This record gives sequence, structure tokens and C-alpha cells, in this order.
Amino acid sequence: MLEIHVVRKDNRHLYERYFDPYFRLRHDIYVKQRKWMDLDRPDGREIDQFDTEDAVYLFCLDNGQLIGAMRALPTLLPTLMSDIFPYLNIRGEIRRPDVYELSRIFVIPERRGEHAGPRVEMLLLTAIMEYGISIGLTGFTIVLEAWWLPRFERCGWKAHPLGLPQPIDGMSVLAVLVDCDEATWKSLYSQIGLTKPTLTWRGLAGITRQALPEISTLAPPSVQPTR
Amino acid sequence: MQNLEPYWGRRALDFVDAIEASKTTACVISQFERMIGNLGFHAYIMAGIPTSGQSLKQLTVANGWPAEWFELYDRENLSSVDPVPRHCYNTLNPFEWKDAPYDREYDKPAHRVMTRARDFRFHEGFCIPIHYDDATGAISIAGEHPYLDPDTRSALHLMSVFAHGRLRALSKPASIGPRRLSDIEAEVLRWAARGKTAWETGQIMRISERNVRWHIEEAQRKLMTTNKTATVAVALVNREIVL
Repeated sequence: MLEIHVVRKDNRHLYERYFDPYFRLRHDIYVKQRKWMDLDRPDGREIDQFDTEDAVYLFCLDNGQLIGAMRALPTLLPTLMSDIFPYLNIRGEIRRPDVYELSRIFVIPERRGEHAGPRVEMLLLTAIMEYGISIGLTGFTIVLEAWWLPRFERCGWKAHPLGLPQPIDGMSVLAVLVDCDEATWKSLYSQIGLTKPTLTWRGLAGITRQALPEISTLAPPSVQPTR
Repeated sequence: MQNLEPYWGRRALDFVDAIEASKTTACVISQFERMIGNLGFHAYIMAGIPTSGQSLKQLTVANGWPAEWFELYDRENLSSVDPVPRHCYNTLNPFEWKDAPYDREYDKPAHRVMTRARDFRFHEGFCIPIHYDDATGAISIAGEHPYLDPDTRSALHLMSVFAHGRLRALSKPASIGPRRLSDIEAEVLRWAARGKTAWETGQIMRISERNVRWHIEEAQRKLMTTNKTATVAVALVNREIVL
């Protein structure tokens, strides 16, 4: 059973045992596979200055195993874009309570591009938008490799460029602002054929959440086959 | 890199804003053609790269090639020997045509395409690969002496990707409600609607029969139907597929 869990400072104690494998997976993926050597650390864990208590994580768990994740940082605090890649954004710095920055979006290689059931990558993209709507965000900033842009366009994520793509470590990388809105969430939802919300909010009952748009209205096809 | 004069950056962002605000494909195309014209390009194509059973025509998003070249290219299926589309499968980054590798001595068909392209004043070209999970495409732009310094390349890359995205968004068939099927699921259903079996569809699309069945099952799950016939019917009525 695939579940996507919201993990933040309020409930982190419930997920402590996942953090060691999480940082090790990040090291495997970003240092060993993708060779982002700036992130290399002798202890085999990839942890950076943005893994603070204000970071929010989405953990994708399959029967208790971590198979994918994503990190969201408030743009009111330092982010990759503000501190490391400021030159990628020429539209002007974005520091807003309603915008978070996404980074370290990954799915473990064995679970990429699956065809049975919704794809894990798509689930994560849908889940973060569900999180954004729930806590009242209007957008996400992301520093990403440019080849993602057509994929975003195809799945309905509306990305606005903040500057020109620049070569970084052999890849063309740029900064974008992505809309977080109900229309996009609904469109993602119906594309991957979900019938209920994706997020698990364990230990977060104290958080005020905005209601999600009604899903039952979008679930049935416009024309139901007679049965 | 940090101290770039943002002239090209601003220009590219203004272009993207204008493209996003455009309401028709004709409007997007005329702005795109003017922009590449200013950079010294006179021809372009935005299209999926055909695999067996597909024609270039059906995969074309925008065609700014001279008619004669397009006809020749489509008729002789040159995309199967052209080193430029071939290189798209091997890279995620944009590249210049001259950097698409091929063996000049032994790969005669590839060399012939590159030589014939010169008859159309395609002396230099720039290609942006487009990668989806189930398909690969490209935006390819050619001219005699285009500007291709690093800043211009970055700007051209950004502007082209957004023009391509906007054209796709504007030319999607108006379905009832949001679209649920992926491109490949829709294609499998279109063949099913024409009476092809899973095996036949697999042969046509060059994927395995098992894979075809998978896509049909995914479509079935998404449309909440119970069998292939109902899935095709619901997809047609909702204009998820058009025959």
C-alpha cells in the first residue's frame, strides 16, 4: 500500500527511523549516481544547510519502505535559490509566506516509470500540490533541470521561468515558479485516476487545514457506462 | 556566469509572457517565427520523432520547414537515419547539429541527410530534445549563419520550449472535463477503436502485447470501466480520443 506522509517538525518524532535511510538514499542518488560532488560527505549521508526544522518532507512509503521523497522549504528562510543559485532568478527574489521551494525530488530507481497503478513521480507531484492547497500556498519555486519543463507542461503543472537556463555540472538548469491551485490539482488527480486524497497527516491534527475541492464531483466520467 | 548582462534573460522572459498570454496557435507561431528570424534562423520543426508505424505528419506540433524538405523527409522517412533526431535519444540537453555524432565515412545515409539539408540553406542548426516517459521529440531550428553564442542559446532554448508547450496546450482537443489519459493510453485506445487486437497494436506501435494490455488496463482504471469496449466507448464520448 503506497502512502505519502507529511513530515514536519510537529510530527517528526514519529518518523525518526526513516531519516537515516532517507539521507542515505539522497547520497546514493545525488552523489553516487548523479555525481553532485559538492554534496559529498564522508558519512554517506547527504544532508545540507537547508535540512532544518522548518523543512517539510513528503515521504512516499510502500509497506514501510521509503521509495521516494520531496523537500519543501519556506521562501521566507534561506533556500537554494536565494543562497546558492541567485543568478538563476532575474525576476526578483521571491520571499513570501505563500510560496515554498521544492528540492530533492526523487523516486528510487527500482520504482521509476512503473506502469501498474499511478506512477510514483506523478503521485509525488500531486501530493505536494495537495499539501500546498491544504496549508494555503499559491506557488512553489524550484531549481530544476530544463528537460523537466515539457513533462510539467504535459501533466498540467504551470511553470513560469524566472531566468535563463544555465549550464551547471553539464546540465541545463533553470529556476521556475509553479502555480499551486485547485485547477491543477484536480487535473492531476483525474489524470492519474485517483479517487481519494493522497496525503497522510499522522500526528498533525493540530494543524489548520483548508478543505480540498470535492473529489467525488470529478471522479465519475462525464458519461458513465451503463452497467 | 553570476554577472551576466541580463539582456537576453529579460528578452526571453518577455517572450514567454507574451506566448503564455496568446490565445491562438497562429499568434504563437508568428511570434516564434519573428523571434528565430531575428536570430538568423529561417526554418524549424517541432515534432515527435516517429517510431515504426508513425508518420512525421501525425506527430508534428508546428512545421516551419520548407514544404519540399518536409515532403522529402516524411516520404523517405529520413528521421530514421538523420543523426540529429538520433542524438536526441542520447542527451537531455540542447545541442548544435554539428555536434550530433555520426561516422562520416561509414554512415552514408546520415551523411546524405546532412548534405541534402544544405540544399535548403540549413548550414547550421540547433536542436532541443523533448523527453517524455513514453516518447521523444525535438524542436529543431536551422539557418545559414545564426547567432549561437551561449546567451543566445539559453534564450532560444527557453523561448522554444515554452512556445512548444503553449502550442500543445492550445491545440489539445477540447474534451469534456479534464483529460485523464496519457498520450500512449489514448493511442492504444485509438487502435482498439479501429478494431486492432492488443497483439496488432503492439506490432504497429513497436511495443509488447503485454505493454498494450497494461495501457488498456490503466485507461480502464482511470475511466472506471469494466472492459476494453466500454473503455473505448467512454473515451470516445468524452473526447479523450478522437478518430
